[in-house]
Amino acid sequence: MNSISPEIICAVATPEGTSALSIIRVSGKGSFGLLENIMSLEKNRLRGMRRKVGRISEKGRTVDEVVAVSWPEGKSFTGEEMVEIICHGIPQATRTIMEMLIRQGARRAEPGEFARRALGNGKMNAVQIITLAALWDTEKSKKVFNGETEESCMKLLNKIETAREIVEGNIEFDEIHLDGDGKHIRSVFCELMARAKDFRRKAASIEKSCRVMIMGPTNSGKSTLFNVLTGKQGALVSDEPGTTRDGSTCFMEVRGRRIQICDTAGSNGIGLDRKASEAVIRGLDEKDRVIWMSVGGRIPPADEVKKRVGEVIEIAAKSDLKDEMEMKQILNISSVSGEGLENLRDIISRVPGSMSLSGAAERIEESIKKSYKFISSQEYDLAAEHINEAEIEARRIIGKGENIHLSVERALNSMCVGK
Amino acid sequence: MKDEWDVIVVGGGHAGIEAALAARRKGCSVVLISAKRNRIGEMSCNPAIGGIAKGTIVREIDALDGSMARTADATRLHFRMLNRSKGPAVWGPRVQSDAAEYASAQQSYIGNRGVEILEDEVTGLEGLTEKVKGVRCRGRGCVKGKAVVLATGTFLKGMLYRGDEKWKGGRIGDISADLLEKDIVKRMFHVERFKTGTPSRIVRKTVNTEELEVQTSEKTNFNFSYEKQMICEKEVVCYITYTNRKTMEIAKENLHLSPLMAGRIEGTGPRYCPSYEDKVVKFPERISHKIYVEPMGYRSRYFYLNGLSSSLPREAQEKMVRSLQGFGKAEIADYGYAVEYSYFHYTEIDDTLRLRRSENVFVAGQICGTSGYEEAAGLGLVAGANAGRVAKCLEPLSLSRMNSYIGVMIDDIVSKGADEPYRMFSSRAENRLHLRQDNADRRLYLTGDRFDIMSDEKKELLTGNMKEAERIKYILENETVDGVRLSKWCRRPEMSVGKIITVSDALVDSEEKILMSVLLDEKYSGYIERNLRKNESRRNLEKISLREINSYMEIDEICWEAREVLERERPETLARAERIPGIRPTDLQGLLIYLGRKRSTWNNSRAGEM
Ligand SMILES: Cc1cc2nc3c(=O)[nH]c(=O)nc-3n(C[C@H](O)[C@H](O)[C@H](O)COP(=O)(O)OP(=O)(O)OC[C@H]3O[C@@H](n4cnc5c(N)ncnc54)[C@H](O)[C@@H]3O)c2cc1C
Repeated sequence: MNSISPEIICAVATPEGTSALSIIRVSGKGSFGLLENIMSLEKNRLRGMRRKVGRISEKGRTVDEVVAVSWPEGKSFTGEEMVEIICHGIPQATRTIMEMLIRQGARRAEPGEFARRALGNGKMNAVQIITLAALWDTEKSKKVFNGETEESCMKLLNKIETAREIVEGNIEFDEIHLDGDGKHIRSVFCELMARAKDFRRKAASIEKSCRVMIMGPTNSGKSTLFNVLTGKQGALVSDEPGTTRDGSTCFMEVRGRRIQICDTAGSNGIGLDRKASEAVIRGLDEKDRVIWMSVGGRIPPADEVKKRVGEVIEIAAKSDLKDEMEMKQILNISSVSGEGLENLRDIISRVPGSMSLSGAAERIEESIKKSYKFISSQEYDLAAEHINEAEIEARRIIGKGENIHLSVERALNSMCVGK
Repeated sequence: MKDEWDVIVVGGGHAGIEAALAARRKGCSVVLISAKRNRIGEMSCNPAIGGIAKGTIVREIDALDGSMARTADATRLHFRMLNRSKGPAVWGPRVQSDAAEYASAQQSYIGNRGVEILEDEVTGLEGLTEKVKGVRCRGRGCVKGKAVVLATGTFLKGMLYRGDEKWKGGRIGDISADLLEKDIVKRMFHVERFKTGTPSRIVRKTVNTEELEVQTSEKTNFNFSYEKQMICEKEVVCYITYTNRKTMEIAKENLHLSPLMAGRIEGTGPRYCPSYEDKVVKFPERISHKIYVEPMGYRSRYFYLNGLSSSLPREAQEKMVRSLQGFGKAEIADYGYAVEYSYFHYTEIDDTLRLRRSENVFVAGQICGTSGYEEAAGLGLVAGANAGRVAKCLEPLSLSRMNSYIGVMIDDIVSKGADEPYRMFSSRAENRLHLRQDNADRRLYLTGDRFDIMSDEKKELLTGNMKEAERIKYILENETVDGVRLSKWCRRPEMSVGKIITVSDALVDSEEKILMSVLLDEKYSGYIERNLRKNESRRNLEKISLREINSYMEIDEICWEAREVLERERPETLARAERIPGIRPTDLQGLLIYLGRKRSTWNNSRAGEM
């Protein structure tokens, strides 16, 4: 066990089912080869900084037509060899591609893992990353959840704990004085899998519905802000067909969370612009957040907007007009100098709806399935490993922490063992 | 007798023996002081060594050249590999030994290794706590030493209970170390009380074994020790019987006489070793409990009743025993009892098993709050090695959690303590798939070598094992079968030594046990790597210092309870904070956010980087 070279990790970087396009991110040495493989490209076609259009098929059937964008080691966000697959946002296709990647040896990323790798490769500073992770963890439990989803997760965790107690109990006490037989374990796992599915569905459904819209009068710098916030990724997405003309949409990672950001046309415009912006306003609902942006914060958001959405974040653009600003308590932003952007990111990162939740839900489901598989093959040692993963993940979501060592001790309360 | 010893070991239990031997291997002059010479190495309870996780500790002890494995092999009468159908990472070798022979073998072993034995009662430490001069004995007065290991087991102010009987003692027929406890308390050490219990011993010939289920010993070529040595040829069978409704009723009728229920014992007992009356109270719906009937030795006249620990009055115990199938006419030789004793609170002990407030006093075994022979021996080995190192002015040895159960155990004990006697469970180890019984030699080789813990012969043997493993690994990495590299091939579930030999000629004459062990390394390698990676990120928390925090009370990011706890405990790093009971992960995250914010306001000019 000398130097540990990181595995290839992959994750869907966009919420399920919301958008016309989905992005799957793959990072780690060997990512190029992996993609060339599943896109049936010639060797080395993705080497370097490339963009390749291609088709992913499985057993002769086309899964999706995709664009793969590659970054070589040292040039990517994570600092590793990295590929982003832009595919159509059909959940089934996205899922199939993920499965193919995993079968080829990639592993689903843990929450914040891309960011952690970026850190490891010197692409971010430590406090930044830690803060990322921290915000994600604490905020998530309070804000991402609606009551129903939280309850679903609690119930799931509960079952996972029970299952884990049984598995660990089986390991620690061998044949001695132990009750639970195979049947019992089987029924526990069946219920567990149903719960995991339920939670995954709920998680996906809340993620779909949250957006951050950038709105405001024309010429207040919305698009500039959008581009600054979303960086490279934004440009990439808007290049592709399928993005609407009245505004650009981008899924970006803010403080370790994925959020859908939409740029909209100005609302004091005329003609086409005006129509478009009315359409946007009609489409708003209370799950959305609006960043209302005007020069110097002089124009307040329209009542219609305030009424419809969950929260309006007012910001003032062009901070050279400072004096005027000091009177009002409005966040001052300069896309040019970067002033205020960090605060804005902070605020955005607390918006409910991050991809991480359904990613986590999927990981939980996968771990449970694997655990069960190993129980069937009488490999309790490995079964325990996976059910443990599931528990850690579920605890993280609820904000309850790891609690790794205690399961046997917990089990002791319900088991009759000993001399 | 010597004027001054390098190391004084107090207590000739399993901890004391390994401590004395480890210090001796370091080239120290060692004296072992124990209350009764002929009870050194006694198994106070079960005549068995090993089990799940515990068996792995025994192998770790052997890898570090202790004596427990060898003696268990040499005196074994019965063997079982527990968990055979649960996956090789959690296999637990367990033997039953001849209790009397085990003790006498250990006694001659330490004698042969040049440990001086004194029969005496230690009544206190000598000199200032910060750096003691030695110990005080009841008979001999002061014995001087450069370092002291306390390994007094269940004897510190030991109190025995059975029904309304109550008397002093560390175990039946033995002294209670009251004076030593007094001295420890006087020196302001924080001690607490635990309790544990033992079942009755039955006169063997009064049991009708024809009526019992038989459990035979497994045929095996397994050895606890990595050394190739003679295994005891003798063998015994064990028996199984069950408690029934009548047993339960007798226990219920007599519950009010239990010293525990009557509130006479205050110490906490282990949940994994409840007395029979505990079980009746906690699991009233269960009528029948399995009882293992284990001979105390090959020729021993006694059976041990594994599963029927009790501290009810004699009459009740007798009735309970006689209610068992096959025990209708059984006679009890020694009645079960409970023992309550003092142990050192975890905050007193550091991760080298030294008492924090003293430069040269170490503790090991039950006195640290653990229970079990294997746990005691593992701790003893580390405490003894470190006492030897202090005597020789060397840097101390500490073991990592990721590499051994002994490391897990010490880390657990000194960082969070336990609210019941601490027993090793495999699930306490986050790197369990690596901490297997088959690879203890290779896991601990580097530590053993670096700290010079092994004798030359042992080192030669283990070096050989390492080389053989390297050779096998090389073959696995470089040979392919049908285009699949062997290392990948052997991750398949159906992989086995038998099979791999048939596909690769190069492996045919490998040492079988080592081959198996290396194959398991391969099989689990993905998981192990992941666990190590996780551990790395945990270690990052170690790097985050909390010293710059002046007051926790004003940190809005964490909850009130946590603020109070942190204010009181003042952990040095985030990793320490994580281990404080009552600190939730959200509080840790809160601390991080707080630190992050604080640092960014300090470095306003660099805020753009954030
Ligand atoms: C009644 C009873 C029940 C037990 N039940 C269990 C159980 O259920 N499960 C389990 O895992 N373990 C049990 N054990 C514990 C097991 O015996 C111990 O964990 C193990 O023996 C501890 O080893 P040790 O070396 O720490 O101490 P011990 O084996 O107790 O040895 C202590 C030694 O120190 C000597 N000594 C003590 N004080 C002095 C002194 N002042 N001066 C000189 N010598 C001294 C004693 O003579 C003795 O030789 C039980 C023990 C007893 C007595």
